[in-house]
Amino acid sequence: MLRKEQNDLLTQTGPETPMGRLFRSYWVPALLPEELPQNECPPVRVKLLSERLIAFRDTNGRYGLMDEFCAHRGISLWFGRNEECGLRCPYHGWKYDVTGQCVDMPSEPEDSGFAKKVKLKSYPLIERGGVLWTYMGPADSQPPVPEWEFATVPAAQSFTSKRLQESNWLQAMEGGIDSSHVSFLHRGDLNSDPLFKGARGNQYNLSDARPVFEVVESSGGLYIGARRNAENGHYYWRITQWVMPSFTMIAPRGDHSIHGHFWIPIDDENCWTWSFDYHPTRALTDAEVAAMRAGKGIHAKVIPGTFRAVANKDNDYLIDRAAQKAGRTYSGVEGFAMQDSSLQESMGPIVDRTKETLVSTDSGIILARQRLLRAVKAFVETGATPPGVDTVHQRVRSAAVVLPPDQPFKDGAREAMIAHPGVAPASV
Amino acid sequence: MSSAAEARFRIQTPNPTSRVVKVISLDTASHHEIATLVDEVPTADLVVMVASAGADAHAAAIIGEACSLKHVMTTTLVIHAASATDEALSKTLAQVRPWSLMVVIASDEAYVEEILRSFR
Repeated sequence: MLRKEQNDLLTQTGPETPMGRLFRSYWVPALLPEELPQNECPPVRVKLLSERLIAFRDTNGRYGLMDEFCAHRGISLWFGRNEECGLRCPYHGWKYDVTGQCVDMPSEPEDSGFAKKVKLKSYPLIERGGVLWTYMGPADSQPPVPEWEFATVPAAQSFTSKRLQESNWLQAMEGGIDSSHVSFLHRGDLNSDPLFKGARGNQYNLSDARPVFEVVESSGGLYIGARRNAENGHYYWRITQWVMPSFTMIAPRGDHSIHGHFWIPIDDENCWTWSFDYHPTRALTDAEVAAMRAGKGIHAKVIPGTFRAVANKDNDYLIDRAAQKAGRTYSGVEGFAMQDSSLQESMGPIVDRTKETLVSTDSGIILARQRLLRAVKAFVETGATPPGVDTVHQRVRSAAVVLPPDQPFKDGAREAMIAHPGVAPASV
Repeated sequence: MSSAAEARFRIQTPNPTSRVVKVISLDTASHHEIATLVDEVPTADLVVMVASAGADAHAAAIIGEACSLKHVMTTTLVIHAASATDEALSKTLAQVRPWSLMVVIASDEAYVEEILRSFR
């Protein structure tokens, strides 16, 4: 459990909140490139960390992300005209470039120079690895560009999707490091989902339904190891990476792609669930990409033209009680993504953590919260750079390995948990 | 039913917190303390063992066996891991793993208090 003030501190990410300031230390995913598919395409409304923004791609292909509202009369620039290297407000013609600088003000005398004094708050927006990233912190503290491995491999080796999740970011992220739920909620899908089935490790999962967990601090966050019995007294380990504040990477299965998530606050009651799949040494097959687009694996099928899942809280996630009773799915909801999301959204927009009854298998969640609380305190009080900003913390991998019984997985899988370009992942 | 407005109608009665958690430091526990804990295991919901990385944690077997017989959950918190060698950590893990259903390896002991607070 958390005290109310601790829960508030971790779940509130608006401007000037402690957690909001911490989130603004990182490059965070903002949009998919396909949302701004060509120069002078329509602008896109973006809400991140409780700030309403507008994203656009100008005549020369430069990306802009700035305050959604015109400095003049507060018109939403979503109605703007994207033309001649700027976004022009249709009300009185004020025009802004990708930095938010007002470059034309037709209602003022041509040489008044007043336009130069008007600048909307803006943030950098860069394309890297199939994601448009933004950094919303102080310009003089901008960190190096992201080095997460999925964003550095060739485009053919990676696939990324995003989905609206109608809950606070923290309860979504906590689901990503709650390894003990997999044996229950997702048990029906390991041998049927095309992005998971066929791996030898699945048999360890299914033959030992009572894994033992080890949680180990890492420099960027935590390693969460789930241990099951393997042959000859050895242990089969599935090691999840959590890197602050909201990156998780799930252990791979066989030669399937590696996958993971970011959970990025939209506001305090909604977040974006970003889901990536990549393979360090080969291109994803057409069948794999088709499955991901169809919502298999950790991805979700969304309503066309939106990022809201087809199965959502307005239709009770299309729960199938017959499938639940027959054991085809454990909860009756189909697919890993919505199995998780349905339950996390059911907690309410911001779960009241003063009322939890945590048990020892929740130790990963407990430790993650404590690491976040410490990082926020150090950041606010001393300006300490939080874990996860350093790109060394980003060059990590999850791993699935078989190790001798007395070996710490942090030791036995040391190299496997580092992203070495071109090296195959440790997977069973 | 999961909206912020609906959340106002949730029952506000606190959840019961009557569980019994027993905590023991494997580094410093005397024979008497270990024997006492073993006697108390049947009344416990959770036994938490705390061990420094590299320290002798042989008592984990005695306590763990008692917990196993009574089907009591065990968690071991291994602290001071950041300053221990891999060999030292490995030695402690070899002693606690067979008897721990959850192991947390942390850099400092301040986490112990926070984890125990979360189990209240």
